Amino acid sequence: MAGSASAADPAPGGAWQLLSGHYYPNREFGEVDEGFMHVEAPMSTPDPAATPVSLHFGDAARGRIKQVRLFIDNNPSPVVATLDVGTAQPISEIDFRVRVDRATAVRAVAETTDGKLEMRSAWVRAEGGCSAPPAASGEGKVGDVRFRSADEGKSLQVGIRHPNYSGFQIDPKTGDPIPPHYVAHMKLTAGGKPLVEIESGISISENPTFRIVSDAPIATPVTLEASDSKDAHFSATWNGAADRAVAAAGTH
Amino acid sequence: MVRRVACALALASCAATAAPLKVDEVARGVFVHQGATLVLDAPGHDDIANIGFVVGQRCVAVIDTGGSVRTGRALRESISAHTKLPVCYVINTHVHVDHVLGNAAFKDDKPAFVGSAALGPAIEASRRYFVEHYPDDVETSAQIVGPDTAVATTRELDLGGRTLTLRAFPKAHTDSDMTVFVGDVGLLWTGDLLFIGRVPALDGSAKGWLAAIDELAKTHPKFVVPGHGPVSHDLAAALAPERRYLETLVEGVRKEIADGKPIEDATAHVGQSEKANWQLFDTANAHNVSLVYRELEWE
Repeated sequence: MAGSASAADPAPGGAWQLLSGHYYPNREFGEVDEGFMHVEAPMSTPDPAATPVSLHFGDAARGRIKQVRLFIDNNPSPVVATLDVGTAQPISEIDFRVRVDRATAVRAVAETTDGKLEMRSAWVRAEGGCSAPPAASGEGKVGDVRFRSADEGKSLQVGIRHPNYSGFQIDPKTGDPIPPHYVAHMKLTAGGKPLVEIESGISISENPTFRIVSDAPIATPVTLEASDSKDAHFSATWNGAADRAVAAAGTH
Repeated sequence: MVRRVACALALASCAATAAPLKVDEVARGVFVHQGATLVLDAPGHDDIANIGFVVGQRCVAVIDTGGSVRTGRALRESISAHTKLPVCYVINTHVHVDHVLGNAAFKDDKPAFVGSAALGPAIEASRRYFVEHYPDDVETSAQIVGPDTAVATTRELDLGGRTLTLRAFPKAHTDSDMTVFVGDVGLLWTGDLLFIGRVPALDGSAKGWLAAIDELAKTHPKFVVPGHGPVSHDLAAALAPERRYLETLVEGVRKEIADGKPIEDATAHVGQSEKANWQLFDTANAHNVSLVYRELEWE
């Protein structure tokens, strides 16, 4: 099921022509090899409302990536997230869970520290991910944060309890769309240094969850500062293995 | 072939002469049409659920109406072939397309449309999706008929000489599950709380579904009509594979979460030991696992 496309751009033209003109006017995209970066996503997603997408960074990319932007060409809001990547921690993988509305290219554009653009993409078949009703259980409170680490601390998953309403879901009580309400900004530090800063939107799934994998154990403490589109603020701190799977309550 | 083309061009006029659905009288006055084992985008996908009707002395209750107005009309023809009594109730066991899209075929009977208290909101939330994704099965949004009679916990319906007992469940297969018990013949119509043969499809809560299975297992009906699959005479035996499957998912996903594995690892591995036990396994298992993961990761 899971496959990574090898073509730099499986869907030339279409939405991407507009997007690239808007975000990267008059810029050229480098010819990159799999070893630098690749995008992994299921060719046919088992769950359009929570499709796993992984960005893998090769040795050549470590410490050389300044910013990565993730796009889903055919989603109503194609920019999924913009990530400013810290250089202190060598990151080999960043995972997302995203809503995919219909068949589309999912693409990552990396801006390197020397100002070049590199692009990779994958093709995903899906239907209805943006309008799918909330699925996860309703227990818990908005802003609860959960950290989970694995692989001797080299991987860390961070989840925020939040409906992340896309604006395309229907309120069963009224039959009208639920207005968008989403986690807009997250800043993670590790051992006092920037790990990653993420600007995100409505294409991120309910209960936004990211996973960061590094070559070395991720420095602790890890702190999270987040805010949503209604300007609610959430924060949490994780102190390492002793805190395994511990939820730190957010503040509002 | 010519007739099929004509049907496609003039669905409405063709529907008036729809061939009756094949139904079996599985218990006195209880007629069941067993749906086909097909995926939701295959030809014939509008006839995959078990649907049917119960005939009383005064009137008829329909239980689920199929995945298209066309299927609903064919079911209406079957009823006409068996009785001239009016249809007084149309009961939906939950919100899924294969059980509700035929409702419009019964509007002219002016029945009470009956469902779990959560069914009406669930249909409102899905109305646009149904029209956009099943344009061959339902022509307009107005043809998607929701309930006008809501069941919060239990309710009895009198058909004249026989009583149906309806029971609504908390979130399980979906958030709008309801069973129908025909007491005089000891028949339990489970809707999709029970799948026999076809892999169970989760759209609610795995924990809730297991709790619903525990509740159903406390009853001892003589006949069991599942949402999908053949009629059974042994509820405990019919529930066992489904319970085992759902427990396999819950235990497997809990372990993946505890081991720090991401959702894509869980969808790739969990439940595979059950593959040989179910029809259409690969069309639903990964989605089920993804939903279980999202349900359990905040435990």
